[in-house]
Amino acid sequence: MSILAYNGGAMVAMKGENCVSIAADRRFGIQAQTLATNFEKIFEMGPHLYVGLPGLATDTQTVMEKLRFRKNLYELKENRPMAPKVFSAMLSHMLYEKRFGPFFVEPVVAGLEPKTYEPFICNMDLIGCINQPKDFVVGGTASAQLYGMCEALWEPNLGPDELFETTSQALINAFDRDAISGWGATVYIIEKDKITIKNLKTRMD
Amino acid sequence: MSSVLCPEIPSPGFSFENCHRNAMLEAKGLAMPKAQKTGTTIVGIIYKDGVILGADTRATEDTTVADKNCEKIHYLAPNMYCCGAGTAADTEMTTQMVASQLELHRLYTNRVARVATAKQILKQYLFRYQGYIGAALVLGGVDSTGPHLYSIHPHGSTDKLPYCTMGSGSLAAIAVFESRWKENMDEAEGIQLVRDAIAAGIFNDLGSGSNVDVCIIRKGSVDYKRTYDEANKKGEKQNSYKYAKGTTAVLTTKVVDIEEVAVRSIDLERMDTA
Amino acid sequence: MSLIELCGMESFTAPKIDRNFEDDISKFCGNFSCNMELGVPPFSNPMQLNQFSKDESGRDIKIQFDHGTTTLGFMYQGGVVLSVDSRATGGQFIGSQTMKKIVEINDFLLGTLAGGAADCVYWDRVLAKQCRMYELRNRERISVAAASKLMSNMVYNYKGMGLSIGMMLAGWDKRGPQLYYIDSEGTRTPGKVFSVGSGSIYAFGVLDSGYRWDLTDEEAYDLGRRAIYHATHRDAYSGGIVRVYHMKQTGWIHIDNNDCTDLYYKYQEEKEAIENRV
Repeated sequence: MSILAYNGGAMVAMKGENCVSIAADRRFGIQAQTLATNFEKIFEMGPHLYVGLPGLATDTQTVMEKLRFRKNLYELKENRPMAPKVFSAMLSHMLYEKRFGPFFVEPVVAGLEPKTYEPFICNMDLIGCINQPKDFVVGGTASAQLYGMCEALWEPNLGPDELFETTSQALINAFDRDAISGWGATVYIIEKDKITIKNLKTRMD
Repeated sequence: MSSVLCPEIPSPGFSFENCHRNAMLEAKGLAMPKAQKTGTTIVGIIYKDGVILGADTRATEDTTVADKNCEKIHYLAPNMYCCGAGTAADTEMTTQMVASQLELHRLYTNRVARVATAKQILKQYLFRYQGYIGAALVLGGVDSTGPHLYSIHPHGSTDKLPYCTMGSGSLAAIAVFESRWKENMDEAEGIQLVRDAIAAGIFNDLGSGSNVDVCIIRKGSVDYKRTYDEANKKGEKQNSYKYAKGTTAVLTTKVVDIEEVAVRSIDLERMDTA
Repeated sequence: MSLIELCGMESFTAPKIDRNFEDDISKFCGNFSCNMELGVPPFSNPMQLNQFSKDESGRDIKIQFDHGTTTLGFMYQGGVVLSVDSRATGGQFIGSQTMKKIVEINDFLLGTLAGGAADCVYWDRVLAKQCRMYELRNRERISVAAASKLMSNMVYNYKGMGLSIGMMLAGWDKRGPQLYYIDSEGTRTPGKVFSVGSGSIYAFGVLDSGYRWDLTDEEAYDLGRRAIYHATHRDAYSGGIVRVYHMKQTGWIHIDNNDCTDLYYKYQEEKEAIENRV
């Protein structure tokens, strides 16, 4: 078993028409044992910026705190919100600094660029290699299943409602085939004027 | 500004603070995860007016294709580009760092940086890390001394060659060069040769795939052709598999409205020095 | 002159090529004619089989056959209740959510599966055949004690070679209701309350706290269902459907199948109703 699969967890982010989504399961477990079903892996880093950190739960929280600290320092110094692109570069360098002793997280970033509100998504491997496709990114233990679901379901120019349905179904059907993720899910739909956060009804086994 | 209250500003270079913990986790029997690899075919040739670099665009994580259209020809300087194979993060970060050093060097010397300079920075950096930084590079560029092409191995050894290939698809690609490369080719001929070499990698090496990127560097001009050739056209989706609205059962919904925040400036208040 | 003769290897017994079809069957499909015999690798000591679970660099070879399970069985005044989940996993991948982990051996004998799915299914099938043969030879049904001993003796022949079975055998014979636990290590023991599989620790928690000899039928079914459900909630490798069976004097009956998702929201509602009353 890999360290990345010690706690379990699945994550996906998708681009839509003037909106992005990011979604994750809610399980926190230690190998086979489920300890909690209200564990958050997606964190708000700005009004239009969210980061998901699937992987080893202790590193999920450590990396989140380090990121928040650095992002706050940047915003105090620059007096402007951090753009998703800048945030990703920062995270990438933070992870690469630990090239030879990495944090066990595979981050997913989703947001809208400031001013232009251009959708932005990206993911990274655990040492910070950025991957920035035009459609969707995945992470966590159900990533093989998620790749399959997303390739089938995603299409260009999805509106916020369609994007929600596509993201949710991709995630639910993927983690229903993974033993160590699931137990509820949270979906964030990020639009210019609002964020919609939904908790999904899913299998609880 | 490092202090006990603000210990976060990191010292430069790599940090090894997690190594102890990770070694412990590994000893416990938890396998180390694999980093993203390029699993690549990268090539370069010298032709009549300069250098042509080529690369495929697949990135893999174990047996999964992690990125179907990644960029493997990295910018180093206005007259220099560098193809990277190996651990994806290493090639990306190493070339970024060298690019910034070359820019500083250019500003300091007020001259176009030489390809040999970039080669030397790269090989000394890679040698220092004894191959643990898994970057295999093909460096190409044109400077005042003419066109240059180097291949740089992860341990820091370099070759100066008229044509070279690197990555897992290098054998397929070198076969094309060995049979067809000749001196003083014209540009169209050169591009076609590079395309064919990359295509040989894409079709015969499982680690390489997707599209062909080509970068032509002449004296004083660069032509970066991203997706020069789409070697693998994806089939058109025959059907829409979209779920109908309301399929997903929702337990709770929360909507957060975002207002445009007007920036308010506060007049400086003088410090009370009385 | 053949190559063998040219090489001076007349004494070497060349593999017989003109084997007929019958021979092929007995040679390559030994368990067609004798299904109590598995093909054992040609080592003097078959225990060496374990060496093949690692590759040359010492990493585990990925033969991750179906493993995780929760099954339980208990005796009470009304007979025996068996309850099982239905998830089959290979590593962390869920291969099936609808696997049948209770085998209906005959009208008065039920077996549960836990451990390697293929091992369980195969040996349960052999057991079913043996039980039927016994019936035909002796003109009476086999006792549960005898059936469980058959099973235990069969798998004991392969002890240490990697078989993985943990089963319960429930039945009703001349001596009344019976419940046995058998595993591939050679254990065979009668008992009142058993739970087997990766989720058994969770199932036992519920089972032990609610178990009494004088449960009514409905109470017993609900106890079995709840115990398995709670195990599926906590254990990643158990889930799917909760199946409940009852072994009565008149033979076994299948009580019901319940999807774990439905049970979760049903029990959640019950819990909230109780909390609201308080």
